Amino acid sequence: MNKKIEEPILRVSKLNKSFPGVKALDNIDLEIYPDEVHALVGENGAGKSTLIKLLVGVYQKDSGTIYFNNQKVDFDSPAQAFQKGISVIYQENSLIPQLTVIQNVFLGTEYFIPFGLIDEKKIYQEYLNISKKLGFELPPHKEVRNLGVAEQKLVEILKALIHKVKFIIMDEPTASLSENEIEHLFRIISELKSNHVSVLYITHILEEVFRIAERITVLRDGKKINTVFTKEVNRNEVITMMVGESLKDAYISESTAMKGKQPVLKVENLSRKPRVNGVSFEAFPGEVFGITGLTGAGKTELTRLIFGADKLEGGLILIDNKPVRIRSPLDAVKNRISLIPEDRKKDALILILELYKNITLPSLTEFSSQGVLLIRKEFDTTKYFIKKLDIKTSGVKQVVKYLSGGNQQKVAISKWLQTEPKVLIMDEPTQGIDVKAKVEIYTIVRNLAKSGVCVIFVSSEVSEVVKVSDRILVLSQGRISGEFKYGVSQEEIMGTILKEDK
Amino acid sequence: MNKKINLDLAWYSIKKNGILFVFILLCIFLSIITPGFLSWANILNILRQSSIIGIMAIGTTFVIIGAGFDISVGSLLALTAAMCVGLQQYIHWGFAILLVLIVGALVGMLNGFLAAKIHIPAIIATLGTMTIVRGLVYLYTGGYPLYVDSPSFAFIGNGYLGLIPFPVIVLIVMVIFWQFILIRTRFGRYTCALGGNKEAVRLSGVKVDFYHILTFVVGGLMAAMAGVVYASRLLSVTPLAGQGYELDAIASTVIGGTSVSGGEGSVVRTLVGVLLLNIIANVFNLLGIHIYVQYVIKGAIILSAVGFDTYSKFRR
Repeated sequence: MNKKIEEPILRVSKLNKSFPGVKALDNIDLEIYPDEVHALVGENGAGKSTLIKLLVGVYQKDSGTIYFNNQKVDFDSPAQAFQKGISVIYQENSLIPQLTVIQNVFLGTEYFIPFGLIDEKKIYQEYLNISKKLGFELPPHKEVRNLGVAEQKLVEILKALIHKVKFIIMDEPTASLSENEIEHLFRIISELKSNHVSVLYITHILEEVFRIAERITVLRDGKKINTVFTKEVNRNEVITMMVGESLKDAYISESTAMKGKQPVLKVENLSRKPRVNGVSFEAFPGEVFGITGLTGAGKTELTRLIFGADKLEGGLILIDNKPVRIRSPLDAVKNRISLIPEDRKKDALILILELYKNITLPSLTEFSSQGVLLIRKEFDTTKYFIKKLDIKTSGVKQVVKYLSGGNQQKVAISKWLQTEPKVLIMDEPTQGIDVKAKVEIYTIVRNLAKSGVCVIFVSSEVSEVVKVSDRILVLSQGRISGEFKYGVSQEEIMGTILKEDK
Repeated sequence: MNKKINLDLAWYSIKKNGILFVFILLCIFLSIITPGFLSWANILNILRQSSIIGIMAIGTTFVIIGAGFDISVGSLLALTAAMCVGLQQYIHWGFAILLVLIVGALVGMLNGFLAAKIHIPAIIATLGTMTIVRGLVYLYTGGYPLYVDSPSFAFIGNGYLGLIPFPVIVLIVMVIFWQFILIRTRFGRYTCALGGNKEAVRLSGVKVDFYHILTFVVGGLMAAMAGVVYASRLLSVTPLAGQGYELDAIASTVIGGTSVSGGEGSVVRTLVGVLLLNIIANVFNLLGIHIYVQYVIKGAIILSAVGFDTYSKFRR
């Protein structure tokens, strides 16, 4: 470990980035050395993706400096970063599915012979050379869409190498890979190291970190907690660094739920392969039922099944102990189940329409007589919610597109509160909104529970789940891997989440 | 921040009503350069010429607000007009009208079914039905023009109520009726909403496919009504009738500021779009400008109107 002698290939100093209401990155320093595999870990919202996006120019930094190869750099776009030798492999791949492996790999660096024709021979030769050197075994003439996810990931890595990239950032690369595929990826990563390519490896999964990384940098709440040598720490120490001191500001005064009550929602053995594999639970009126787990653990898919947005393959849903058939969102609404989806812009709101039209959409029948709309009544209801949830807007006719994320979320909540649901499912309700709005949402959630609604609070941010939930379910790979009561520590849940994975 | 929002709102209202300003300015300008323009006879002439496309474009507006597209309405006009004429050999024209309105609605339903349920892109689905329906027109007419001689039927296209031509009255009543449906009924609201974001409407527990199909039914129904007026106005229908009408209806709709990506639009502004195109044609005729030049200008107007909408969306 005498890497310190060498010059770092990437050096970041005092990097800062704020979004409205949030300090996303706070004075981050980071050094990555040649031939190093460096892991970047932290909870959701810790600032990992923001950091990557700043490095490659998706976002522009507020202040601080980035040196790459001893040169001060300031990329405008990932394309520019790629040209200078930094490549990012995202969770979703960015290949062109209709082109073959070799066409994708050489896209943008084709060799030409006169008349603009592509020098297929030379390209093929080069392809074979590099594949051999690094132990890739990809079929060069197969179309990328016919490859598995893992192979596609390898194609992306190969593409980076052909472009003589010296530094590869991998953002949760194993998220959708099987065990064998992960092994293959790890072999390639160690080959990269011996070919003088550095890797910044972003992940949730600590087992992987301890297998492949030499050093670990931990982020929490936009701050760098520490950079440590993998050999000098153990798993629990890293978890503690990730979650920090458990926050003590409780939202729950007393847990009144469940005492002598019938479950309002009961699901038995819900399945839709591959993401949901036999989930059963009961949720009671007046409680906040938290569901957490990693990205890809099947949380969103589970909520969509209960709401009828996707077709159920197996299992049973009971409302007030009576089995119900939910084959569409309409059926769910009739049974007074509501879902505030994760992607509010895509699934919850009609951005080009006014506030009141969004809020009354699911309950429009109540706002019409003989099909004719009672617009005055719509305005009154909208004003009521603007006041009740403190929505910052210029008025009922404000177009939703122009509201901030937090206020848009409140519109999505209002829309469903108007239907007076018995069960309100919220999928990542605080995603992408600022700290103040988050706290407001927690308060809304608690008040709803107090008024007798069963709120199913789904989030991958463990810190908020433990704060607002009466009971907590942990999902891993579409199965329940743990169930906890209010008062459980964040570490305990993180332990369950990370242990169960792979 | 507030200033930004105000600017956005100002931009929004210009975008929404810009076409009206353009329309009024153009009328003032034209009445100065062409003396005959503001005469009662000329105004009625323009309105009457606008009636057939205008009625058809009401349906087109609904389809486009619902983020659909319908290029079959020109053929459908021909089929319904031909049937309306042909059926009068056997039944009273009143029943013939009723029948062709049903045919129009059914073809619309088929279009909607293909787009909403089979998920064929609307422009391709209606390209298919356009071709089929045109074929049916040839089969029905045998390739020859059909004639009818019925003074009472001729009233619809040629009569006057007081000073106003009857087709103009049909147009105005329909515009008022469908504008009301669009902004004051549940169907109208759902139309805008599903054009804006169909998945979000589905996840709000609305029978989206049903309402999506219904927008196409309105499209077919209004094409059939335009067919009736057409048949009555000319009292004859050739197999080539209505060719290109769908394009004029779409052009009027988008010139009227209906967003090509769906969600926003207005029947009244579509009427302004129809009038605008007809006024320009009218003035060019008064000035003796060749029809070929008119095509070029019309194309340029369509591009500017749609370009304004799409570019301002892209700009953000």
